[in-house]
Amino acid sequence: MAKTILEVKNLKKYYTQSKGLFSSLRGNVGIIPAVDDVSFYIKEKETMGLVGETGCGKTTIGKTLLKLAPATSGEIIYDGTDITHLSSREFYPYRKKMQMIFQDLDAALNPKMRIRSILKEALTVHHKLSKAELKYRIDDLLEKVNLKKNKLSNFPNELSGGEKRRVGIARALAVGAQFIVADEPTSALDVSIQAQVVNLLKDLQKTLGLSYLFISHDLRIVELISHKVAVMYLGQIVEMGMAGLIANEPRHPYTDILWSSLVDKKSSEVNRSNEENKKAGGGGFDFERPLEGCRFAPRCPVYYSKNKPDICTDPSSSPTLRDIGDAHKVACHFPL
Amino acid sequence: MSNGPVLAIENLRTYFFSRSKQAFIRSVDGVTLHIEKGKTLGIVGESGSGKSVTALSTMGLISAEPGVIIGKIGLKTETVQKNLLRDLKDHVKINMSTGRIMSVYKDSLGWQKKINRLMKGIRGKEIAMIFQNPKLSMNPFSSIGKQIAESILLNTSISNRNEAKDKAIYWLEQVKMDSPRLRYYNNPYGLSGGMCQRAMIAMALSSEPSLLIADEPTTGLDATIQSKIVDLLAHLKTSFGVTTMLISHDIDVIKSLSDNVAVMYGGTVLEHGPARTILTSDYKYKHPYTAALLSSIPSQEHIREKKKLQVIEGDVLDTINIPDGCRFFERCNKVTDKIKEQCEHTEPDLREVFPGHKVRCFRFFRT
Repeated sequence: MAKTILEVKNLKKYYTQSKGLFSSLRGNVGIIPAVDDVSFYIKEKETMGLVGETGCGKTTIGKTLLKLAPATSGEIIYDGTDITHLSSREFYPYRKKMQMIFQDLDAALNPKMRIRSILKEALTVHHKLSKAELKYRIDDLLEKVNLKKNKLSNFPNELSGGEKRRVGIARALAVGAQFIVADEPTSALDVSIQAQVVNLLKDLQKTLGLSYLFISHDLRIVELISHKVAVMYLGQIVEMGMAGLIANEPRHPYTDILWSSLVDKKSSEVNRSNEENKKAGGGGFDFERPLEGCRFAPRCPVYYSKNKPDICTDPSSSPTLRDIGDAHKVACHFPL
Repeated sequence: MSNGPVLAIENLRTYFFSRSKQAFIRSVDGVTLHIEKGKTLGIVGESGSGKSVTALSTMGLISAEPGVIIGKIGLKTETVQKNLLRDLKDHVKINMSTGRIMSVYKDSLGWQKKINRLMKGIRGKEIAMIFQNPKLSMNPFSSIGKQIAESILLNTSISNRNEAKDKAIYWLEQVKMDSPRLRYYNNPYGLSGGMCQRAMIAMALSSEPSLLIADEPTTGLDATIQSKIVDLLAHLKTSFGVTTMLISHDIDVIKSLSDNVAVMYGGTVLEHGPARTILTSDYKYKHPYTAALLSSIPSQEHIREKKKLQVIEGDVLDTINIPDGCRFFERCNKVTDKIKEQCEHTEPDLREVFPGHKVRCFRFFRT
C-alpha cells in the first residue's frame, strides 16, 4: 500500500477584488472564490490529473499547494505534516520536495541566464556542491531529461518549446523534488513534442518515484498519464475517480460534456445530431456571482431535461462529492 | 469544379534574414499547393514549418525583409483572375549558386507599393482571413458590430450605414452569436475567447469572400468551445460553401473539416492529397512524417493500455541550415538501405503517386 504523499482538506482560496478606492471602508469588496472547498489526496508514485475549463481554478490549486499563494482556509498535509501555516523559513525544507513546472516557460526562465546557470542555481540553492559534483549533477540531469550537452551554453530564447520544457523539468528535479505540480506542461506544444514530454514525465515517474499533480485542459493527455482524474468546475471538484472511469463512464453531466466535446471522439461517432443536444448552453460563467445551489445548473442538460427541479437551485442543498462506488465520487443530485 | 482551383500557389519562397546569424531563414521554401472551389484545404505541420507564413504571403502581409521573393500565387474567382505576384520579379535580384539562393537583393519599397496596388480589392474582399488571436486582431476601442459594419461598407456594394448595421447583425446571427443585437455594441475585451472568434469569423465572412484563410482558429480555446467553433465552421461550409484554407496543428480539427490536406515540414509541402485517406492511421501510402505525426497523437488504444506514445525523435528542422537531401531524413524511421544514399543527398520532388495524392518521398518512386 503506497503511502499518501499529499492530502488536501477543504482548501479554499478567495481572491478579493476592490471596487473603487474606498471600497474596503464601505465593505464593498468583491470576493472571487477561485478555489472553493476542495479536498483530495495523492499517493506516492501516483499522478492525479486536474481538468476543467479556463478560469476554473486549476492553476490556483497548484499555486496554493506550493504556498506560492497563501490559502484562505483549509489544510494541506504533505507527508504527514500540515504545511498550511508554516512560515517561509519552516517551509524551506519542504520547498525542495515540492516543485512546479510552469505553464509559460518563456516567463519562468530568466532570459538573461544561460541554461547552465539556470540549472546551477537550482542545484546550489538547497545544497552546497563542489565544482566536480556540480558538473556531475548537471550531466546527470541532462541525461535524465534527454537534453543535449551543447545546449548548456544557450540562452532560453535559443531553445525550442520542447527543449525549454525539458529545462523546466530538469530544474524541478535538480532540487530533488518528489512531488511535482505540472501546470499545462504540454500546452502550446506540437503533437510530436508533446509526446516526447509526456513520455519523459512517465519515465521519470518510474525511475525516480515521483508524484504529479497534472494540470491540463487536454483531456486525452490527462487520461493517458493520470491514474486518477479530478474534474473542476467554477472552483469546485465536481467529479473524481480513476482515469478510465471518468473518461468512459462519466457520471456528472459536465464531465460528459467535456469528454464528448473532444473533436476526435465526436468525428468517430455516427450520431452527430445527438451530440448537438448535449452541448452546454451559454458557455460563460461568472465568478463574481457564483450561483446558489449547483453551480453548473444553468448549463446543465439534465437540469433542463428534468424540468428544472428545485433541488438544483436550492441554496441550502448544493451538491457535495459523494462516493458512488469504485472510488468514484460525484457532486450531482442526478448522476448520469 | 472544372474551371480550375481558386488558389494555386507555385513554388513560393519567403525568406527572412537573421542579423545575428547572418543567414537566411527559409521559412517557406518552395511551397506548391492548390485549393479547389468550395473545398477546404487543411494545412498541418509543427510550429515553425511555415504554415502561417504561407498564409501571410498569400495575403501580401509580409513586411519584414526580404519577405516573399519568388513564386506564383494564382487567384481565380468569378470576378478576378490574376497572379498576385505578377511583375514583382523585377524588384528582386537573386544570386544562385548550385541551385541554392545565396543572396537576395530586394527593392522592398517598390515591392510594397506594387503589392498594395495588386492586392487592392482582393485583400479583405476576395480573400479574407481569420487570425490566430482574435482579441489582438480587433480594435479594442471600437465595438465589434461597428468594426464589422466598417468592413461591410468598405468591401461590399452596401453604402448605407443603417443597411450595413443590419447586415452586420445578420452575420452575427449567422455565426450563432447569442443576442446579436446586444453584442453589436460590445467591445472585444467584453467578449470571451470563443465569442471573439465568432465575431472575427463574422467579420471575415461579411465581405462574402471567395477564399477564407483561417489561421489556427481553434488554438487557445477550451475543448468545449473548440468543438463549438469547429461545428460552426462545418456549418458555414455547408451553408455558404466557402472555399477555405484551414491552418492548424491540431490534426483532429483538420480531419473533421478538410477535404484535402497539405502536410508541411521545414518550409515545404511533404504531402498533398485527400484528407480522409491520408489522415486515417491504417492507410499505408503516406509520407513517413505524416505517419509519425499521426502516431504521436494518443489514440484510444494508447489511453486504455497506458502505453508509451510514439515520438518523432529530434526536433523541428532548423530552417536556416536546410540539408541537401530530404528534409525529414534525420528524423525519418523508414529509411531503407536501398534509398538511404538518395535520401541523404537529393531532395525528392512532390510527385503524384495516386490520382490527387502527391508525396515527396523516395519510398514511392525511384529516379
